Amino acid sequence: MAHWSTFDKETEKETKKLIKCISGMEDEEDQNFQLALKFTWSNFRFHRFLDVDSHKVERSISGIYEKLMVHSDLRKAESWMRLTDEFLNSPLPQTDGKKTDAHYSVLSMLFSLSGSPSNNDFTERPRIKEAEAEDCFDWAKYLMEGEDIDNGLYPDTPVWSEDESEDDDSQRPISREDSGIQLDRTPPEDQDNTNKTVPVTWTVGEPGARAWLEQHVVTPYWVTHSPRFPHSLHLHSNLLNVWDQHLYNTDPLYLPEEKAFVTETQVIRETLWLFSGVKKHFIFQQHDGKVSVRNDVVVTHLTSNCLRSVLEYIAVYGQAVFRLQRFIDEVTGCSSEPCPPGSLSSHNSKKGSEPPFRTYQAFVWALNKYFTSFKEELTTIERELICNDETMTLSAVLERLGPHLSQIKVLHKVFCTGVADVPPATPNVVRASHLLNTLYKAIIEYDSVGEASEQAVALLFSLWTETVRPYLEIVDEWIVHGHLFDPAKEFIIQRNKDVPVNHRDFWYATYTLYSVSETVESEEKLNDSASGSSGGDQSSSSRQLTMVSFLKPVLKQIIMAGKSMQLLRNLHCTEAESSEKSSRDAERKDLYTLFLESVQSRLRSQETSPTNTVTDDQATRRSLIKMQSIVAQHLEMENVHDPLLAINFARLYLEQSDFQERFSGGDFIVDRSSQSVTCQTFELTLRSCLYPHIERRYIECCGNLMKTLKKDYKLLEYLQAMRNYFLLEAGDAMYDFYTAIFNKVQEKESWQQPSFLNVQLQEAVGQRYPEDSNRLSVFLENMDPSRKKHPVNNLEVLTLSYKVPWPVDIVISSECQKIYNQVFLLLLQIKWAKYSLDTLRFSGEIRPTDKPCPSEAPAEDVKLKEPVHQQIHRMCLLRVKLMHFVNSLHNYIMTRILHSTGLEFQHQVQEAKDLDQLIKIHYRYLATIHDRCLLREKVSFVKEAIMKVLNLVLIFSDRWQAGFGAWKIESIDKMESDFKNCHMFLVTILNKAVCRGSFPHCK
Amino acid sequence: MASATSANLNAVRETMDVLLEISRLLNTGLDMESLSICVRLCEQGINPEALSAVIKELRKASESLKVQQQQHTKCHFK
Repeated sequence: MAHWSTFDKETEKETKKLIKCISGMEDEEDQNFQLALKFTWSNFRFHRFLDVDSHKVERSISGIYEKLMVHSDLRKAESWMRLTDEFLNSPLPQTDGKKTDAHYSVLSMLFSLSGSPSNNDFTERPRIKEAEAEDCFDWAKYLMEGEDIDNGLYPDTPVWSEDESEDDDSQRPISREDSGIQLDRTPPEDQDNTNKTVPVTWTVGEPGARAWLEQHVVTPYWVTHSPRFPHSLHLHSNLLNVWDQHLYNTDPLYLPEEKAFVTETQVIRETLWLFSGVKKHFIFQQHDGKVSVRNDVVVTHLTSNCLRSVLEYIAVYGQAVFRLQRFIDEVTGCSSEPCPPGSLSSHNSKKGSEPPFRTYQAFVWALNKYFTSFKEELTTIERELICNDETMTLSAVLERLGPHLSQIKVLHKVFCTGVADVPPATPNVVRASHLLNTLYKAIIEYDSVGEASEQAVALLFSLWTETVRPYLEIVDEWIVHGHLFDPAKEFIIQRNKDVPVNHRDFWYATYTLYSVSETVESEEKLNDSASGSSGGDQSSSSRQLTMVSFLKPVLKQIIMAGKSMQLLRNLHCTEAESSEKSSRDAERKDLYTLFLESVQSRLRSQETSPTNTVTDDQATRRSLIKMQSIVAQHLEMENVHDPLLAINFARLYLEQSDFQERFSGGDFIVDRSSQSVTCQTFELTLRSCLYPHIERRYIECCGNLMKTLKKDYKLLEYLQAMRNYFLLEAGDAMYDFYTAIFNKVQEKESWQQPSFLNVQLQEAVGQRYPEDSNRLSVFLENMDPSRKKHPVNNLEVLTLSYKVPWPVDIVISSECQKIYNQVFLLLLQIKWAKYSLDTLRFSGEIRPTDKPCPSEAPAEDVKLKEPVHQQIHRMCLLRVKLMHFVNSLHNYIMTRILHSTGLEFQHQVQEAKDLDQLIKIHYRYLATIHDRCLLREKVSFVKEAIMKVLNLVLIFSDRWQAGFGAWKIESIDKMESDFKNCHMFLVTILNKAVCRGSFPHCK
Repeated sequence: MASATSANLNAVRETMDVLLEISRLLNTGLDMESLSICVRLCEQGINPEALSAVIKELRKASESLKVQQQQHTKCHFK
């Protein structure tokens, strides 16, 4: 193998060529190509074949000759002998001499490629055809055949069959027909056919008519082997020939290819057609949506490579146009024809199988608009070309189309990322927001380039304003009419169908917000986001990229306004005042119009104030200089000397102040880069043109809703009622209710009967607040048996409930009531302890146990009753202590906590701007009182201690009631120590807590 | 000198033409380009049988690749 390792490089080059030639793979980086190369190399290096044996090859030659003779194919046999002989005696490109090994190895390779000549499979097509001039025999035959029977020597008949010629005859007409219509067969294949057919198509007319035609009709250059057009013989216009000649002279193996000659005008026209969306071309070919350049097209004055590179450049744009055009066709195909999305509100009439996807339609409409103008330009160029008044070259046309081409590039890029890359099964929401996001991002991206891409920005901006239209219309419809109309499910917020408006879950569960992230599509329930967004930025920052970005700053407002409006609508529709509304609606401008008007006025003010700009420029320059000196001073203080930095700082500062001015002033616009919508100005445009409208609408809607809720639906009254009953603010009524219960308990009667409780409640409340009495009711719940051991827990079976009507129940939900109820139970327990201590009387005096009251008869029977006396004293002390504890707890909770928090709450409610905020305030209020009443899990140990004391109180009062005699000294001891322990515990805990500052409200 | 080279060029070209005829007669399926590559390779000492084996194999592989791609695109269109 060593002998050919020297050729490695050369061989490798040839090997690659071979692979390209045989497999058609062009890309050397392709994995398959690499595989093939490896395979080929290993076969070349490590094979099991013997070296070429010239004798063997000679034998094969004679063998084939014999075989041909056996098949009586004399002509072929003779031709075979002659050809091989001639070949063996001819020089090879790099090998000198005759009948060398190289000759034999070439032949041997051909043999093994052809297989055995006797094999019918392989012998079907071989034919004795001679294109060579030196092969007289075949040439003559060929000419003869050509003359009398046109052609058709090469139909698909088996050549080896004996009756070849007869077959030929029968096949002739068919073959001619074939050749007549074969226009795009590759030239080598029917080289011979076309040579004859073209004259046939051309000799139809009279010579005169033909001359006329040649003058007035474009030469059919798309027909292979069309006659060459006449052209100058000047050297410059024959560069191709010169180059070909050169190639021919330098490379012995160079094969002149079949070429289709065209003129530059034809190329220009095809280019124009390609751009205007024509699908069938001669120069450009389309395969599966890919535009490629035909290989064999040449013009006379350029080399084929040069022309090809230009054409390929064009083809890229052509393909972009083609793809965009196809997208336009696809989208408009379903809705018959492109129409402005505004007219889609009348889509009810033409309902398709599925509702139109309006965002795409709007996008397509915008694209279509652009293409209309582009095609106008193309048409003008073509008209000029036809007039033939001035010289037009391909490069001139390309230059003229330059701006358009770069715009198309931008469009195509946006289209690719925004539309084409989206997998087909994606829901519309994701598609729409992805498209809008892509546009938005593209605008900002190109914006940051500055004036270099002004046109791109302008184009994208117009595209964006068109595309965003459906969204704004949806938003408009929603926040004005409270009706989220989105049949194609493209808006980021969608209504859940199963929740009716007059349901308490409406506020939370009605809408689903779809947020689209770059990688993962997730959907989140709206209530999360709504509550989160009003809380702060923590939620919005986490999904920075996920939403339709331009709506993000006002998303919360939109959601609130929309929901409020829908709610309001429903509230109002019960009151039926829609007629007035609809009349007002007629003259109302929709959001999109408002937006466009603002944008226009903004842009116009930029355009029409050039004088202003100049002065502004001067002003800014002056202030820039001033700022610069200030900043420079600052920097010098920090020992930094960098004038450039100073200038940049100054500029930054100026821009910011500029920004302030614009933002606050609104109509006063300073724009240094006149017409362009620069980076800041794009976002500012949104800010000043779109967001205020939404903001205004939001304030209006939510204000209305709040007013309605407060005025017509007595929201405040209900909140008051909750506090009245649950937080015992209506002391008189509730006193009646709970004392009745406590009395029962003290009498040791069963009080846990719903009827009794309800009657008591109704009586107590009905007297004073008759309107609430039928809303309130008491339920008994089954107690957890494990907790029943303490008497104080007995009360926990009570559940007070207040029926809150819709829509107030959006604010006062059942969860809220639960918290209210917990507080209520705590209060009740304290009240109970207090009551039982308060009502303790020294009834023991007259008890049969005969123990006198310690305070009134201390001296009597001192000796005997000394321990009793002591006991009584200790009991009294304990009672006072307990009373002190309970009273201060009671006071603390009732006044310090409930009352003051309640006042705060009332204040905040007055100021609440929207329903969400109100709900939030209410929740916060509840959380606060829940927290401060020590009902939180975290501080449950404190509550446990308090409960223990309260329990102790109840046990104590129970013991007390039992009478003096029944006391045991140990039990008193135990009670005392228990209380002491609890007290100590609480004091230490609370002291610590207060010191730590975690309970600022504590005593 | 120039005429000598050009004469040699023409001779080689004629050889190639003859060879192409032989190749056609044998129905090897090689066109002029691949044929000239093969000749060059043979001249560089590649074993002709190995070369032909490689060519056959490459043809087979690219054929099956094409079929695969067609099926692939068909699936796409479905």
